[in-house]
Amino acid sequence: MPNDDQKKIKLPRTAKGKKPQYFADPTVDKLLSMVLTLMGELSVTRDRLDTVERLIENNGLFKVDDIEHYEIPDDVNAVRTERRSAYIARVLKTVQDELDSLQQKGDGKNTELED
Amino acid sequence: MTPLSDHEMLAQRIHDEESRQAFVNDFRVHLASQVFPGNFPTYYNRVLPQFIKDKGREPETRHEVRRVMTHDPYYSFWSAMQRNSQEMIWDSVIDSVERQLPELIEKSREAGDKGSLTLDPDLEIPKYHVAADIHLQPGAYHSDQIEDDVAAGAMYDWGTYIYSMGGLGTGNNALGQITHGFFQNEFPDAKPKRILDMGCTIGGSITYWAQKMPDAECHGLDVGAPVLRYGHARAEALGAPVHFSQQNAEKTNFEDESFDVVMSHILLHETSRTAIQNVFDESYRLLKPGGVMMHMDLPQAHGQPPLEGFLFEWEIYNNNEHFFAQLRDMDMPELCRKAGFKDENIHPKSAGSFWMEDQTPYADDGFEFPITMAIK
Repeated sequence: MPNDDQKKIKLPRTAKGKKPQYFADPTVDKLLSMVLTLMGELSVTRDRLDTVERLIENNGLFKVDDIEHYEIPDDVNAVRTERRSAYIARVLKTVQDELDSLQQKGDGKNTELED
Repeated sequence: MTPLSDHEMLAQRIHDEESRQAFVNDFRVHLASQVFPGNFPTYYNRVLPQFIKDKGREPETRHEVRRVMTHDPYYSFWSAMQRNSQEMIWDSVIDSVERQLPELIEKSREAGDKGSLTLDPDLEIPKYHVAADIHLQPGAYHSDQIEDDVAAGAMYDWGTYIYSMGGLGTGNNALGQITHGFFQNEFPDAKPKRILDMGCTIGGSITYWAQKMPDAECHGLDVGAPVLRYGHARAEALGAPVHFSQQNAEKTNFEDESFDVVMSHILLHETSRTAIQNVFDESYRLLKPGGVMMHMDLPQAHGQPPLEGFLFEWEIYNNNEHFFAQLRDMDMPELCRKAGFKDENIHPKSAGSFWMEDQTPYADDGFEFPITMAIK
């Protein structure tokens, strides 16, 4: 098994290759990417909430009303902060893509290449 | 979404990762079934009448259709969403792989030895592979991010499954099922001793062949080390003996006339015009007399109406499929002749999910892949 101190691996997140521009204003391309990501993340959250509600119902662990009065411990707050940060990065990935592409070698031109 | 059969190497997903993948799958199903079909009325009711008004005739080629359709707001919006959905596939699988990568690498190091894995760190990765990340998989199929990396393979396993919306079957091996069923039908008495799959990535197809033909020696080659490491460990986990090696299909180190079957599954369209001829030449060299070459790939442009031809080529311009454009117009029987096959032994065929062993409904999409078949 890997050592605990093994450096955490970061895989590349942006594909090399020129991204087509779909709309007259490239800002619209970015906004669409963000809207679609938000659609996805809202769907993920709804699924998770559904899981939680079903577990509550199955196990009778606590009342849904307890959620309204939940006091956030420090460690939970730290986890949530990290998750929110990752969430923001995911929705804004389209902005990061542009930066990543600028730093990749070659122009990644997406046209027929000659031999 | 339909389930993917678990195996020892498959990256496990936690709640939100699974949910994110399910969303991407359902979003793509919606795009394919509800949004994409709208391109037809858009063309016939809006784009075509304007074209006729401007030019006094209908478009004659798919290229002419491209020039007008890419400016249509409906097509553009579908196209932009389709592109985003492809990026979202990879985004939805990277987290699981990144989180478990050390364990996956460890498992691949401890994989069994029913088959084998031979890597060549000095292999030159061809230009058509490094020009851009094929299918928008970040990091491509050949890049190692860490020593003994398997990430590209682990991503490919889940990513292709989501891409196909389950169409690759629960074993992620539909293409192998199709060529195997097709081969059995064409050559019911054949008992191939040695079989080679070129450009095998994680070996979905050749591993299936190895499971179905335990008496044959099955080989898979690819230029990508991380997909081969993963593929080898995956095959071992499935109990199938497959010999994986890192080689370029254009020029391998196998001996002349040493295989009974040499095949590929949607490899050609990822290579170049020159490379495709080289692959056919190499296939001929490797085949024993009487051996069978089968290269399955995507449909060509011959006979496709201009609109359908244009829509089919979306992947070329939007999904890093650079070389597919060239394959679309190539004369495959001519390539076979140049490689050395005799005219009477060249058989352009096609095959689809009809030939699959797994006949569950999601696999039955009616799509036919051309197969360039030739006998030495």
